[in-house]
Parts: sequence; structure tokens; C-alpha cells
Amino acid sequence: MYKYDHIDQTLVDQRVTQFRDQVERRLNGTLAEEEFRPLRLQNGLYHQRHAYMLRVAIPYGLLSAKQLRTLAFIADKYDRGYGHFTTRQNIQFNWVELEQTPDILAELAKVEMHAIQTSGNCIRNITSDAFAGVAADEYVDPRPICELLRQWSTLHPEFAHLPRKFKFAINGAKEDRTVLLCHDVGIELQKNPSINHGELTANIYAGGGMGRTPILGSLIKQNVPWQVLPSYLTALLRVYNRFGRRDNIYKARIKILVKALGPEEFARQVEGEWAQLHNATKQGKDNFTQAEWERVAKHFTKPNYKILSVLSDEQLQSHAQSKLDANEKIAFTRWLERNVKPHQVPGYACVILSLKPHGTAAPGDATSAQMNAIADLADQYSFGELRVTHEQNLVLADVEQAELLNLWRAAKNYNLVLPNIGLLTDLIACPGGDFCSLANAKSLPIAKAIQERFDDLDYLHDLGDISLNISGCINSCGHHHVGNIGVLGVDKDGEEWYQITLGGDQGNDASIGKVIGPSFYANEIPDVMISIINTYVEQRSTDEPFIETYRRLGVIPFKEAAYKNNGKHSKGAAV
Amino acid sequence: MNQKIIYYPKDGKPTVIANEWQVWDGERDEGGIPDLEHGFHKVLVPFHWWITHHKNADVAGRAGKGEIGVWFAADDDILKHPEIIEEGKSLWPVVGAHFPIFRDGRSFSTAALLRDRFEWQGEVRAIGDVIIDQLLQGARVGFDAFELRPDQNLEIALKQFDLFSVVTQNSWRDQRATIA
Ligand code: HEM
Ligand code: SF4
Repeated sequence: MYKYDHIDQTLVDQRVTQFRDQVERRLNGTLAEEEFRPLRLQNGLYHQRHAYMLRVAIPYGLLSAKQLRTLAFIADKYDRGYGHFTTRQNIQFNWVELEQTPDILAELAKVEMHAIQTSGNCIRNITSDAFAGVAADEYVDPRPICELLRQWSTLHPEFAHLPRKFKFAINGAKEDRTVLLCHDVGIELQKNPSINHGELTANIYAGGGMGRTPILGSLIKQNVPWQVLPSYLTALLRVYNRFGRRDNIYKARIKILVKALGPEEFARQVEGEWAQLHNATKQGKDNFTQAEWERVAKHFTKPNYKILSVLSDEQLQSHAQSKLDANEKIAFTRWLERNVKPHQVPGYACVILSLKPHGTAAPGDATSAQMNAIADLADQYSFGELRVTHEQNLVLADVEQAELLNLWRAAKNYNLVLPNIGLLTDLIACPGGDFCSLANAKSLPIAKAIQERFDDLDYLHDLGDISLNISGCINSCGHHHVGNIGVLGVDKDGEEWYQITLGGDQGNDASIGKVIGPSFYANEIPDVMISIINTYVEQRSTDEPFIETYRRLGVIPFKEAAYKNNGKHSKGAAV
Repeated sequence: MNQKIIYYPKDGKPTVIANEWQVWDGERDEGGIPDLEHGFHKVLVPFHWWITHHKNADVAGRAGKGEIGVWFAADDDILKHPEIIEEGKSLWPVVGAHFPIFRDGRSFSTAALLRDRFEWQGEVRAIGDVIIDQLLQGARVGFDAFELRPDQNLEIALKQFDLFSVVTQNSWRDQRATIA
């Protein structure tokens, strides 16, 4: 994994000093809150409902065991013993003190981490595929480009105060696991002999995003050679910086600009700006160089894999037969099926540790004890590295198949092996009204109630892949628009209500869900889920996943089922 | 206005110097250069005002003596007026770019365009709601003078420029740091 050189290290160290000074000026009153706010946001420091929250970047989701131990240490020393992994490869600490944040940042800097630009109206942490470098369906390892662009965007002076936040995602696999089209800019990497002599190039999508106006990004440029990404992206951001709407916060995202101009016109303006930048830099001084590529890429070489033969699922199971009792056998088999993913290298597998054991505090939460345990597991089974997924789980990416059983046993002790990956209860949820001051409604109790109602693993496995995403308000941190089933907290006359969307999807067929109708009380939601799911079960053809059935039938049968009990529930009762 | 500015030439050191330029907001426009504060005879006029008035004898005369510069509002699209800016290169000793509020970053792009596109060599001054914490970015995109909001502490301001010894992207002032 990437290792800081003295440039990166100097930068994060000096950033700590800078922020320490800003905090001091805030505390002694020479820096007004109004002015401190954008500065602290650019350091990931939010003010939430009850306390400050610090969001720490995990660039492209990659984390070392040592870093995870530091996160556990921070959780214990400066927070309440846990952290929250988010959908955008960050970790959030919900209970930090302003006075202590410079110290936390200093701890992070010691292990090559930071909170730079994890919030605020600037280029945010760049996200990518949690399975980068190991996924069986990958054609380009996106991490060198992610890292080069991380450096390019870090404290970028011209784009420090954009109209709104700006999010990049980068993908290099057949399957899109980054929700590429829901980002301000999505970079799709490719390496194709017919394009640019087989050199790495990128297709650029712009103007995607969720929130109040969900829009999927549009393809605005194809086959950009990787070397010139800095100038192309400078041109793109410059057009946005100059012409993005600043008069209305809801219209300030690039998606609104791209929509207002039309993708073709936006692309044309970027192209015009880019041509000028080319002129200004005839020697291409902004271009990434081969030397820079090598400096970065050498950190993303393959670990020291053994030569192993591939074990089939049957072999894995029979290997486990003698060692497990009947219940364990079922659990282990299910786990192999749901939580273990194919790997590029024979004899290895990727393992997803579920941070969604049913009925816990919040999806994506990990206690410091769990973090320390996971760090040990990473050391023991996966070359000391792990990854954070968009679905708020953790991945051990390089596990020997023959060790899967041992790993399963060890992880079981920490409640990390629930075989629910991709299933209904592997849901995404934002912190909602329990923490977030922007929330219209709580989302964690809804998540918990659904997990409790759908606790039967046999049933869940039978239902197969269904994504359920919950947001506590229209900001869409829980990405409800791209959930097969989405739940959105809405406020009606000061009361918490929940709106359901259906048909959203992430991945290659990304789509935005449709609202099915009037919203529900919190205590109705589990029943509504059951009605929707029952409709699917009754109507599905063999092996048809939920989203396909929905696409075949449309919204009507689901809608009718969801509202059949309407009026029978009373409001007020807590879920 | 601030009686002092920070002047930070591209290859020099940041220092505090007296402010010689009064920024005129274009209000109470009577067609000519307004009366300036006591002791001031140099003025930055709004770019749009310049476009319509620069042919007036009074304005042209003062400009000829090097007493007039222009400032660009955050929403001025300077790329729409390339000829005027080209002409301005030999006329305006100073141009300003305005921050209506410090967290509005449009003038960062204006400064970058002035330096990259127009190859503007003269002074580019940040004016308006300019606070200590945006000096670093401003210095890198192309500003070499800053009229800070009067409540800002100039001593702390000067220290900002020493905060970082490395950068990870090219800018008007410096190339990104690379290994060896
Ligand atoms: C699990 C925790 C969180 C995650 C994963 C998260 C991530 C996200 C994501 C992915 C969006 C999607 C919008 C888009 O792509 O267009 C979003 C929107 C937003 N988030 Fe969060 N966030 C989290 C917590 C918070 C908190 C605690 C706050 C504030 C206190 C916050 C403030 C916002 C705002 C204001 C938006 C609106 C964006 C827009 O409409 O453009 N988020 N967040
Ligand atoms: S979706 Fe709304 S409630 Fe949930 S974390 Fe984001 S801003 Fe807060």
C-alpha cells in the first residue's frame, strides 16, 4: 500500500500545525465561528447535534493494520470507544472535543492519515473500489491514479472554495462498485489496445449526485490519457468554480450546472478551457510524469503471494466438515457464499467482515475492540491490510482459501461473520437524527427495526441480493436513491415520516429509485418492507433478483401491497 | 479600507507596506473618477465601469499617469473581454480581484486566468472580504498583494506564508514538490 514520502509527511505535519493555530485563534476569539466553520470543515470537523464529529479520510478505502489500531486508540482516548465507517471510505468519530482535534490529527499524521478535505466545499476524499488490485473482474488497478489525484487535489489552492463539495470516484473493474455515476466526477479507467496504443486512459463522467436533485452523471469526455488528467480536471473544475451557482446552496452542485447547460455544452466549455491550458503548458509541466507514476505505482505491487492451487467451494466445505458442528456448518457455508469473493490470484479469496450484525447500534460502527481484533486478523491473514467498502463493511482482501475456516472462527468471536453481505439486512444507513443536526428523522432505529424483523437468515438467503438504503434527510448520505429499496426521512409539521423509493440500483445499471407514494410512520416501516418483499417472493421467476422483478413488473404491485394496510397503524408508537 | 497591504512578489518575501490604492466600489457614479480619501490619488475602478468610461478624457488622463487600475468582481467573466485586458497590461499598474465573501473562490480562478492565460505580469491584488486564512491559496494562484479586511492581524497574516514548505500541485508561484 502507498507509503508517504517526506513530501506527504511534511504536508500532513504542517497541516496539523496550521489547524492547531486556527483552533487556537478560534478558542481565543480572534477567529469568528462563521469564518472558522469552512476552515474546520476542510479538516473534516463538523458540528453535530450533540458534539463535534471528526471525519477522517481513508483514501480509496485502503487501510493498514497499524492505521486501524490508531483509529481504535483514537476512539478510546478521544471518543466513546467506537468509530463509524461511512459510504465514502471515511471513518467518523462522533464525540470529539474541539480542543483535542489538533492532537487527534497529530496522532493520525503519525500513521500517514489525515482529515484534509473530508468535508467542506472542496475536492473531497477520492473514493474507489474496495476490491481494487484484487478483484477478479478488474482490468486496471485504479490505485496509482487515485493516489496521484489524491496528491493533486490535496490543498489545491484554486479549488479551495468551490460553490459546493466535490466528489470524485474512480473505477477500473468491469463491475462498478463505486457508484461512479452518483459523483460530481466519475473516472472510468481503461486499458485497451485499440485506444492510445493500450496506454491507460480515462472516460470522464460529470454531474452526478444524489441529494435533493438526484442525477446520474453524463459522459463528457472519452479516452483522456492518464498523464493529462491534472490539466483536464483543472479545466473542468475551473468551469465549475466560475459558473457553478453560488446564489442558492441547493443549486450549487456541478450536477445543476451540467443539467442547465446540457452535458454537450458543459463538455464544450471544459474542452475550450483545456485547450488553453495545453497552450499555457506546452512542455506539459502539469502532466503526471512517468517518474511520478513509478514512484506511486511501486507501492501497489502485489504482495508476496504463495503459489497455491484453487480450492472449490466443495473442497472448502468438506475441509470444514470434520471440524464443525451442524450449526456451524450451515453458518460457514452461508458465509462462504455471501461474504467471500473471488480473487485474481489462485488459492486466495477476499473476505468481507460484516459491520451489520443484526440489531447493533449503527450499520458501519466498529468498536475499538473490534478494530483492534480486525487489525490482528489483517496481520495474521491478509498481509496487514484491509479495505473499507461503500456498503460500510470491511474487507480482508488477500486471504488464503485454506485459512478461511480459521479466519471465520477468529472473526466470529468479534461478531464479524454474519453472512448477510448483499442481503436485505446489509443495509446502508446514515447516522440520522440520533447524531446529525440536519436530519428530518432518525434512521438508525428504522435500520434496527428492519434487521429485527428480517432476522431469519434462511429467509434472507432465499431472498438473495437486495439493497436497502436509509437516509435521515434529503441530503442522501445513506444513498437511498440508489437502493433497490430506499427509505428517506421526511419532516411533516414537525413529525418524523418516511418515504419509500423503489427501483434504485448501483453498479453498471445504476438507476435512481422512484417514490411510491405518501410517506409512512416509523412503526409502519417494517410491515411495509414485509409487504414489498412478499410481493417480490410471490411474483419472482426462478433466480430472479428483486431488482429484475421490479423492473419487469413496475411499481404498481409493490405500491398496492405497501399501502394495503394504510390507516391501520397509529402514529406515535416508537419502533 | 486597510491602510496597509501585504505585498508578496513572486520571487520575494512577504512584507507589509502602505496601501496606495483606494478601491472605488462604483457607487454614486457621476461619470468621472470620484473624490478619493485624503492623501490618495490612485484608484481601482470596477472593470465594468472602466469598459464604459475609459475613453473619457479625465479617466484616460489619469490612467496615463498610472493612477488607475481596475478590479474584477467575482462574477466578471474576464474571458469575454480579452482585448480590453490586453490593452490594460500597459495601462493598469495594479488589478484587483474581489472576494464578496471570503469563502467565494471565484476570484482564485480569475487570478489563475490572469496569470496563465493573459500572462499578466503586474500586480494582482486580493480585495474585499480577505482574511488571513485565504492568503496561502491566494498567493499560489496568482495574487501578489492582499488588502486584508481591516480587522485581521497582520502579524499572524505574515506567518501564514511559512506554514507549508511543500505543495502537491503546480501553481503560479511554485511547481509541485517531487522526489529528487
Ligand atoms: C455515515 C455518515 C455520512 C455519510 C456516509 C455521508 C456521505 C454523504 C454523501 C455520500 C452524500 C451524498 C450526496 C451526493 O452525492 O450528492 C451526502 C450528502 C450530504 N451530507 Fe453527508 N455523510 C454523512 C454524514 C453527514 C453528516 C453527519 C452531515 C452533517 C452534519 C452531513 C451533511 C451532508 C449534507 C449537507 C449533504 C448534502 C449534499 C447535497 O445535497 O449536495 N453528512 N453525505
Ligand atoms: S442524510 Fe441527512 S440525516 Fe443523514 S447524515 Fe446526511 S445530512 Fe444527516
